[in-house]
Amino acid sequence: MSDEIKITPVNRGKRPAFFDDPAIDQLMAIVMAMSAEMSVLYDRVDTIERLLDKKGTLSRDDIEAFRPDQGVEDERNGRRNDYISRLFRIIREERETLVAHDKMDEYNALMDELAKS
Amino acid sequence: MAPQAPHDLLIEPTHDEFALQSYVSALRMFTLQEIGGGLRGVYESRVKPSFEQERGRAPTDEHEVRHAMMADPYCRTWSSMMRSAQEMIWDSIIPSIERAQPDLNSRAASLAQKPKGSMTLDPDVEVPRYVSASDIHLMPGNYYSERDAGDVSQGALYDRGVYVYAGGHGGPYGDSIGRSLAQHLKIRFPDFQPERVLDIGCTVGHNILPFVDVYPDAEVHAIDVSVPVLRYAHGRAESFGKPMHLHQMNGENMSFEDESFDLVMSVVTFHETSRTAMKNILAECRRVLKPGGLMIHMELPRTADMDPFDAFYIDWDSYYNNEPFYQAFTSTDLKAAYVDAGFKEENYMEVMTPDIYAVPEDTFEAAASGPENKAERYGRLGESIHWTGWGAWKEG
Repeated sequence: MSDEIKITPVNRGKRPAFFDDPAIDQLMAIVMAMSAEMSVLYDRVDTIERLLDKKGTLSRDDIEAFRPDQGVEDERNGRRNDYISRLFRIIREERETLVAHDKMDEYNALMDELAKS
Repeated sequence: MAPQAPHDLLIEPTHDEFALQSYVSALRMFTLQEIGGGLRGVYESRVKPSFEQERGRAPTDEHEVRHAMMADPYCRTWSSMMRSAQEMIWDSIIPSIERAQPDLNSRAASLAQKPKGSMTLDPDVEVPRYVSASDIHLMPGNYYSERDAGDVSQGALYDRGVYVYAGGHGGPYGDSIGRSLAQHLKIRFPDFQPERVLDIGCTVGHNILPFVDVYPDAEVHAIDVSVPVLRYAHGRAESFGKPMHLHQMNGENMSFEDESFDLVMSVVTFHETSRTAMKNILAECRRVLKPGGLMIHMELPRTADMDPFDAFYIDWDSYYNNEPFYQAFTSTDLKAAYVDAGFKEENYMEVMTPDIYAVPEDTFEAAASGPENKAERYGRLGESIHWTGWGAWKEG
């Protein structure tokens, strides 16, 4: 039996480019990966703060051994979602503009109706 | 993310790996729901009007919608994010599996020592081309890569991957479809008490295991073409203390005797097989079913019943998530296929059930015992949806 089992982290099959310039797809992948690293770092800082609050001191092992209970995980998940929402604001806002567009249709229809009466 | 039900093959992630998996899951869900939720608006407010202006009519099928949508910047951004999020799921899990080896394989071997169930391997079974052609849903190594004697790595990757993918919404055992189906059948057909149950394309056994709970007197069998996932399924079932009999077999050509099962089922297996394979599997299902037995396949919703936009949305995975047979499946007329396989039209049946973990017990029961139960929305795993199944009773 070999000592090491390695899983090549690439899937077989052509990777589609969604943008005309595939570099934009690559940049998107990099931004998303970076966002993940920041979130991991935030969780680690949160762990350190919680351990310090509780014990006033900590070791690396304490951090590694810390597992969020459901309450902490829910709190972290709320923070993650706010963070994602801020990070991808520019895309989220485009969706909100579309909703506003629908609202404008409603408004115009109402105006037409009122004009007739 | 809520914790996954622990078993002896489940890999414990480090502090940072858990943080990464939780984040990737949240990021995928945000992309799917918050960004993806805007696609309909994009379509209605600008893609469709500009198509109409150019062609003098609305798009008539999903292919026209896809060509128009994939030229829209918002849809491109969503697609690019979906693709990356899917890749990130697997990336967030792989290091923990490599670290757990070779101990993980040894643990699987010891769990198989004194089994309550069994595992029968057949080296003559080949991985069919429709499975091996590309790494399905972008999972590196696909279902079947075997890197060492007794390797279970791909089973471990799939078990955790599905959990992160669904953000834990599939329940602690990742069995929401199977458990919903088993409970639905029990309520809807109280006189149906299967003695032998068969699952086709079981992977790690997520969806067949609940049948051991819901029908405790039944003998439960499951088949797959991949050895690493079967080994993992075997160890996982043993670790939970649930008897399950696993076989390395292709559903197109099973070695079970004629009329030997009361219930033959599958969960999201058909959309990963070709049309020819589906035909062969249906014939085999009918052959191994006892008279009066039930065949039921839980699958993706039919795009034929949808407007072109919803069909485009459902079939996106076919083109961009390495699901080459997704679209071929969603456009197949299942009732006709069942009749072709020899089932009587009047014995055709459908299942439409809410997710057992997502609704209160009485809502679930009402849906199972009610005369009809229509899906309120279409979606992908992880969204709040109804599970759909297509089946037929064998006459007799």
